[in-house]
Amino acid sequence: MSHGATDPTMHPEVQLSTSKGYFLGFAISIALMLLATALVTSHSVPPFGLLMVITVCAGIAVIAQIYFLLHIDISEHNIWNTVALVLFIPLFLITIGLTWWMFSQLYLRTMDMSVMSSVTNPAVHAPATPKLSDMSGMNKNPDSGN
Amino acid sequence: MLVDLPGGWSPLLGRLAWSQIPYANPILAPLFVAVVIGAIIILGLITYYGKWTYLWKEWLTTVDHKKLGVMYIIIGLVMLFRGFIDGLMIRTQQVWAVGPHSSGVFGSLHGYLTPFHFGQVYSAHGLIMILLAATPLLVGFMNIIVPIQVGARDMAYPYLNALGLWITAAAAALIMISLFVGDFAHNGWFEYAPIFELQYSPGVGVDYWMWTLQLVALGTTLGGINILATIIKMRAPGMTWGKLPIFVWTSLAANVIALTSFPALQVALGLVAADRYLGAHFFTAGMGGNLMLYTNLFWIWGHPEVYFVILPAFGMMSEIFPTFSEKPLFGYITMVLASMAIAGVSWLVWLHHFFTMGAGPFVNTAFSVATMLVGIPTGVKVFNWAFTMYRGRLTFNAAMLWAIGALFLLLVGGFTGMMLAIPAINYMVHNSVFVVAHFHSMLLVIVYAIFGSVLYWFPKVFGFKLDEFWAKTMFWLFSAGTVLVFVPMYMLGFMGMTRRLEYVFDTGWQSYLTVMELGIVVYVFSVLAFFILLYVSVRDHAKNRVGADAWGTSRSLEWMTHSPVPFYNFAVLPHINERDELAWRRQHGIDQVRPEHYEDIHMPNNTGVAIILGGLTFVLGFALTWRIWWLCIVSLLAIILLMIIRSFKGDPGYIITGAELQRMEEEAYRREAQVLDSHHSHPVSGGVVGNAMAYQRNDSSK
Ligand code: HEM
Ligand SMILES: [Cu+2]
Repeated sequence: MSHGATDPTMHPEVQLSTSKGYFLGFAISIALMLLATALVTSHSVPPFGLLMVITVCAGIAVIAQIYFLLHIDISEHNIWNTVALVLFIPLFLITIGLTWWMFSQLYLRTMDMSVMSSVTNPAVHAPATPKLSDMSGMNKNPDSGN
Repeated sequence: MLVDLPGGWSPLLGRLAWSQIPYANPILAPLFVAVVIGAIIILGLITYYGKWTYLWKEWLTTVDHKKLGVMYIIIGLVMLFRGFIDGLMIRTQQVWAVGPHSSGVFGSLHGYLTPFHFGQVYSAHGLIMILLAATPLLVGFMNIIVPIQVGARDMAYPYLNALGLWITAAAAALIMISLFVGDFAHNGWFEYAPIFELQYSPGVGVDYWMWTLQLVALGTTLGGINILATIIKMRAPGMTWGKLPIFVWTSLAANVIALTSFPALQVALGLVAADRYLGAHFFTAGMGGNLMLYTNLFWIWGHPEVYFVILPAFGMMSEIFPTFSEKPLFGYITMVLASMAIAGVSWLVWLHHFFTMGAGPFVNTAFSVATMLVGIPTGVKVFNWAFTMYRGRLTFNAAMLWAIGALFLLLVGGFTGMMLAIPAINYMVHNSVFVVAHFHSMLLVIVYAIFGSVLYWFPKVFGFKLDEFWAKTMFWLFSAGTVLVFVPMYMLGFMGMTRRLEYVFDTGWQSYLTVMELGIVVYVFSVLAFFILLYVSVRDHAKNRVGADAWGTSRSLEWMTHSPVPFYNFAVLPHINERDELAWRRQHGIDQVRPEHYEDIHMPNNTGVAIILGGLTFVLGFALTWRIWWLCIVSLLAIILLMIIRSFKGDPGYIITGAELQRMEEEAYRREAQVLDSHHSHPVSGGVVGNAMAYQRNDSSK
């Protein structure tokens, strides 16, 4: 238990951080994000491949951030960071896993599957947000509520 | 611009215009005048008495966890009052607007609120009560009590603590200003996709809702990190996990939930922002959007959140029962395990909020079973409290009454929760007022625990007890109000009354609604009793002063230091021998031991940075709501710059010398002796008394 006036920057877990590491983590994340955005906006890859590529990008970004920004390794003085990461795994599985299961069951009952397939294989690109004036039955006065 | 913005927009003022000020509204305009006059009077009084420097130095720039906690609680109480007024308005509208022949005023066909305004009132009521009343009140108590109970001098990160408070204050200010500038959301406290999309809710209401929630989430997450770090790293020597006071355990469980679940909400809100500000389609009905995903994401946070607010309340009850039963808490270990189990299971049940979405029998059954599992640890707790009181020497003072009331409400809320957890029943009563009654029973558990804690810990923080007579009067009025409002609500739920009705079509429900209106009037009287309670207690405070152990039967560490607690909490950090350290010391006759000599201690400095950052956060939230882009950029840059400057400056803290400490301690002891009028001598110890260690000695390990 550490109390008192010791310089917090001398703690071993703080010593792990270097500005080079932070910049590298930041740069890698930004680069991957830009790459993914460029691929999505240019539609240069077929939809399924696109999904794969951006998933891989996201995966690399996560690893880079864990390593460069969060400094998670298995050393003794980093034990709390590691514990936090381990705690995250079941939560990740629960939220993503159960959500996936829920939606797969929900779609069976509520979605028109012929429409669903167009998500992965769209015939035309979806139009941008429709103009307010184009929408029938829209209330155009922001003050009057419904 | 990326989205097709309805209504006007100017570069200078964004969507803001004079027409957004509701000066013609018959309710808001007089209220606005009253608020302005009230503010002028308060500011005038502060100036007249020359209290600005005091206010700035002692409160606004403080990093003292107790003062920050008190300010959290004040924010919570103010917002509780605001939310209560909303509740009063909802009840009054519903009792008025029954049947086609009911009258209407103020432009409303029935009752006095138009559907649009009624929607705003219940949306604000829900958001305020859960996130700006219950949450700050609980965070406030955790702030005050946790560091003292673990034997620390402050939180792990005092400056971060102040930052969390001022961001929460910014959120409260943002939702308050929505009363007078523009509108608030009118689609319910948790909103729905796709009605919150810009096309369907073109006003600023949803934006107010979104940024308020985003700010509270940020503030609470910062607070959660701090409390976790404090519990893990700052425990006094000798305090192993098995000796941690139970309130600390529940705070730990609660903040693990907060830290892990709030990000889900923040992501969901961020995606809503992308939809509304950037024209994205995350939650739209078509074009690749998925509106069910919003409900899913919201409740992934939403259900853990309800346990985030109930667990500290459980901890409060677990502190109050033993003190006034003069027995240790029954089943400490099971209590700890139950808290952790509740925190764990709280992650597995969120789908019970939308059984009716239609995910089918397998999914619904799984979540139904998981939901019912929560009943096991909760039941363990109820039995533990009952066994704590069993054969105890019970004192039925006001704090104890609130705790017992909480226990009964927990049963009501728990059992109705179990009913709702059965999908077949849920399909019948989902979105009825039965659900509203269920979660109000649960949230009232929290309110009861909080008022119990106000009474219980008030003498610790301020050095004198609150008036018993008025506290009990308030309790009975409040409880009468609770019965009168919520018993008919359960019944109406069974009869099929849906929630959020601004017009009640079935005249057969009139009598029930009348009883509920009566109940809310009784609540009004209990609020008055609370104000009288505060007034009488402050007036008579000299008569009600207390010593360190205000109740004489307290058990945990916070009762070992002076009341009011000095800013350094403990002059010499105690050495922890047992779970209920004070009870143990009393038993061994060393509860009066004083340290033999004092060493220098190190304390953090005050800082004005936190409140300035809070103010800038408010400006940012306001600018985002009204889409005043230049102001967003300016305030965001200012926030980032200030944070960078502060982090380079750091805080070296300052030293209180042993001599100074000794002087302050002796003065505190003198004051206490006057109060208690006690003449018994106080043994002095450098550490070991008999075979027990009272304080950590210098030679023992650090
Ligand atoms: C024994 C434990 C509990 C069970 C089994 C339970 C069960 C449920 C269920 C099934 C619902 C969904 C009802 C519906 O909308 O159809 C619900 C709603 C709700 N419960 Fe509970 N609950 C429990 C404890 C709590 C606690 C501790 C709190 C808060 C302190 C709470 C607060 C709420 C809220 C706020 C809602 C509804 C929110 C809304 O729709 O606006 N519940 N509960
Ligand atoms: Cu729930």
